[in-house]
Amino acid sequence: MSDTFVEIDGRTLKLTNLDKVLYPTGLTKGQMIDYYVRIAPRLLPQLSGRNITMVRFPNGVNDKNFFAKAIPSHAPDWIERVQLRDNAYIVCRDLSTLVFMANLAALELHVPLHRAADGQEDPDDLVFDLDPGPDTGIKECCNVALYLQELLVALGMDIRGKTSGSKGLQLYARPPAPMPYAGPNGTTAFAKRVAEGLEAQYPAQIVAKQAKELRLGKVLIDWSQNVSAKTTVSVYSLRARQEPTVSTPVTWDEIEAGANGTPLKFTFDQALERTVPWPDPPL
Amino acid sequence: MAARPTWTGTVSFALLSVPVKLYTAVRSKDISFNQLEKSTGQRIKQKRVSSVSGEEVPGENIVKGYDLGGDRFVVIDPEELEALTPRDATNEKTIQILEFVDQDDIDPIYFEKPYYIAPDKGGARPYGLLVAAMKATNKVAVAKIVMRTKEYVAIIRPMGHFLCMETMVFADEVVSPSEVDGLPDSAMEIAEKELDMAKMLIETTAGTFDPNSYRDEYRNKVMALIEAKAAGEVYEMPKLEEAPKVIDLMAALEASLAAAKARKAA
Repeated sequence: MSDTFVEIDGRTLKLTNLDKVLYPTGLTKGQMIDYYVRIAPRLLPQLSGRNITMVRFPNGVNDKNFFAKAIPSHAPDWIERVQLRDNAYIVCRDLSTLVFMANLAALELHVPLHRAADGQEDPDDLVFDLDPGPDTGIKECCNVALYLQELLVALGMDIRGKTSGSKGLQLYARPPAPMPYAGPNGTTAFAKRVAEGLEAQYPAQIVAKQAKELRLGKVLIDWSQNVSAKTTVSVYSLRARQEPTVSTPVTWDEIEAGANGTPLKFTFDQALERTVPWPDPPL
Repeated sequence: MAARPTWTGTVSFALLSVPVKLYTAVRSKDISFNQLEKSTGQRIKQKRVSSVSGEEVPGENIVKGYDLGGDRFVVIDPEELEALTPRDATNEKTIQILEFVDQDDIDPIYFEKPYYIAPDKGGARPYGLLVAAMKATNKVAVAKIVMRTKEYVAIIRPMGHFLCMETMVFADEVVSPSEVDGLPDSAMEIAEKELDMAKMLIETTAGTFDPNSYRDEYRNKVMALIEAKAAGEVYEMPKLEEAPKVIDLMAALEASLAAAKARKAA
């Protein structure tokens, strides 16, 4: 008997299969929900207003998963949703909604850069997803992150990094004034030009195109997530790896140390203990 | 708002290694003013111009020159300075404790700037140990630290239950008393009676030092003046009929990439 009723925000939620082991490390669904409850004060402001894509692993990370964009038909009425072109998505602003998603075994929460449910169509940030190719790892990603930082800070952007929770590193750059996604001065074109410019500058280390055969020994600066239809794993989201890693904010000191070979990987318990800030979306 | 650390790293001493954060312990409260044109109230902007042609010189055309005297200069490249910039040998940020000394051995003239040292994650125990041991032995630590691009000698001393660091000036930065005219270089012969008299005068005004009883009276008066004036006549910056400044980030990016390419080709 592992079903439990809990009351959150004055709503009653039924939590199911709390003893089910989701990670080979032994982490259970109950512990996973507990993680999301504890990280909620930091995670909720980041999710706020964004349409959420859940990646659900009902039988753990080594069994089948599905990307759930549409809000489940059995979801209670009080869950906020936003109707976009393809689906009605969950919008999460409170703990009860977060726990509802966690109970769906939604280990990973992916979000776009803008807040559709707040009527805000421009992205808060630009994202550069640094993805290590064969024969490279977090060390090379950190090194490329430093190149990006140098370039973007000089252009007045506020730039910060988080681990992807998987193999790479993701940098978020906030422009000095709002920018749209599209158009000649939009974030899509800008991010592409940044990636290609750095590829031209450091051709032995950086590649700006997705093609697999180009990536041996190089880091891909994936700029393509800077469009409204794409999502990136949210900061503080768990990842469905063999260990319960989390997409975790890191300091520039840590990125520098990472470029010198210090590993940069954080599991859920470490993420809870750390205090590296991640700024709220702009007003 | 909580203060932000200005430096994070480790204090290392023998086998002890303490993760710490440094916080500036003193904030200047000097009042600063902007320069305005008297007749219009418009802000004054400084331009860097050639002393010969009077033409404005853009930032990328300005280099550092060391004055040799007689209008002769040695030009130093930023890269040349960069190569000499002190770095921690291990490339890790450390405050390396070199020795422990009696605080009385260090004249306060060497003290430059104080910082609070707080334990960082995992450092609470060794930090507490260091505080206790330094208090028990009544010693302060002499240490080396690289902050930004400058190397400092500093002393670390216990202050209540925590540690405080004072960066120190180097000995050759202290002006030698021999360069100052009129400083006595030997003790004066004083009659016992006169000395007793002077000692008594000192005793009558002796107290315990309370820093809170001293205020920057000038600053307080200036602030009062500013507040009084702000309540009445305020100089409003005239709004210029100017289009809002659109930052063309794309153009800035292109310029930046082109500059990097040119640097590489050079």
